[in-house]
Amino acid sequence: FRYTRNLVDNGNGKFNLMILCWGEGHGSSIHDHTDSHCFMKILQGNLKETLFEWPGKKGNGEMAKKSERVLRENQCAYINDSIGLHRVENISHTETAVSLHLYSPPFNTCNTFDQRTGHKHKVTMTFYSQYGERTVCVSTRPDAPG
Amino acid sequence: LPAGLSQWFPALEVLDVSGTGLAEMGAELLSLPCLHTLLAKNNRLGGPGSLPKGLEQAPLARSLRVLNLSGNRFAEVPPALLQLRELRSLSLGGNRLHGIPPDIQELRSLEFLYLGGNFITAIPPELAKLPSLRYLVLCDNKIQSIPPQLAQLHSLRSLSLHNNLLTYLPREILNLVHLEELSLRGNPLVVRFVRDLTYNPPSLQELAGRTVKTRNVPYAPSDLPESLVRYLSLASNCPNPKCGGVYFDSCVRQIKFVDFCGKYRLPLMHYLCSPECSSPFSSASQSSTSQSESDSEDEASVAAHRMQKVLLG
Repeated sequence: FRYTRNLVDNGNGKFNLMILCWGEGHGSSIHDHTDSHCFMKILQGNLKETLFEWPGKKGNGEMAKKSERVLRENQCAYINDSIGLHRVENISHTETAVSLHLYSPPFNTCNTFDQRTGHKHKVTMTFYSQYGERTVCVSTRPDAPG
Repeated sequence: LPAGLSQWFPALEVLDVSGTGLAEMGAELLSLPCLHTLLAKNNRLGGPGSLPKGLEQAPLARSLRVLNLSGNRFAEVPPALLQLRELRSLSLGGNRLHGIPPDIQELRSLEFLYLGGNFITAIPPELAKLPSLRYLVLCDNKIQSIPPQLAQLHSLRSLSLHNNLLTYLPREILNLVHLEELSLRGNPLVVRFVRDLTYNPPSLQELAGRTVKTRNVPYAPSDLPESLVRYLSLASNCPNPKCGGVYFDSCVRQIKFVDFCGKYRLPLMHYLCSPECSSPFSSASQSSTSQSESDSEDEASVAAHRMQKVLLG
């Protein structure tokens, strides 16, 4: 019972366009974007984006927050690895949220980061559905956010 | 709510009155025998009259499956709500709750419970008596500890604890074999080995009780005052597999870390009967910290491996 990633279009291999559906209280881990461009648009509800600095080489301390903002319906955001890392969350306990994400080039692995220590962990991302069809669950590993 | 509701729409199954400014819901609801879903979020409910009087006897109490009261002003879970024996899904997110009543266990059919975004400070062990509970959301509260009994929620698939005041988790959390998701971020979980030095030496009564239990000294209720018979029945077994000991009130609290292969170190609270008791693979609690910090060879390592897949960042 977490947010779902639903692939809409794979742009002939040049990009991934997907819709993320966030239940109340759902949030992503802190993650990078594997050298790709990432655009996000809020279609419904609100999402809070918290930007983080990349952790130092030792990764031995609380990660530093750069900024945070709440994105409203129809607002857009952009991020790539040179800008930093982020966590995206639906902080509402009453409303769901829906966002549209465009990644170019497409990627299916990224790193998630432990906010307390900066330690990173590579994860493979999976889709809840593709082109409207439910994807059969293969692995039980936690998948990364958008 | 309009007075003629049940006469005009006797077959009503789903009613959504969210965002209407309602401060009360009255008897108009009671005779809707088919109503299984009631959505009343973002209103002004929370005071007296929020739920209709006579709810427990009404057909509604047997038909209701889904109730969403999130975004209201409830400071406590209304007792009438606990009569909804067929309720599968309850949301009280974003209210003003300071606690969860032990009688929550009356909601025997509950599968989904959302209590995120309140001011809850503690979880009653009775919450663990909900046999069908699959999703439990307690994020964004002020919870300081999780009762070990929560490990009895055998059906639990998803547990949301992020943004609370937890410093450790009970060791028993590793027993939730069906858990698929666990969120813990935003808690002040201890990251370094913590030695609990406040070990209060056992009282004479405790020492005598321990001896009676471990040496199997026979006794009958006629031999002892009732208070001591009761005391002896409260012995807890030391979880150290090499120790067959018991303890009553005096125990060592020891935080050990379960290391999820470098991804995450979860501090888990162990209760042991004496400072000499410890995990088979770590030295006694007074020695160097580096050995004691890693519990990866403990009998919990199998459970830890499972939990590794479950932790959400």
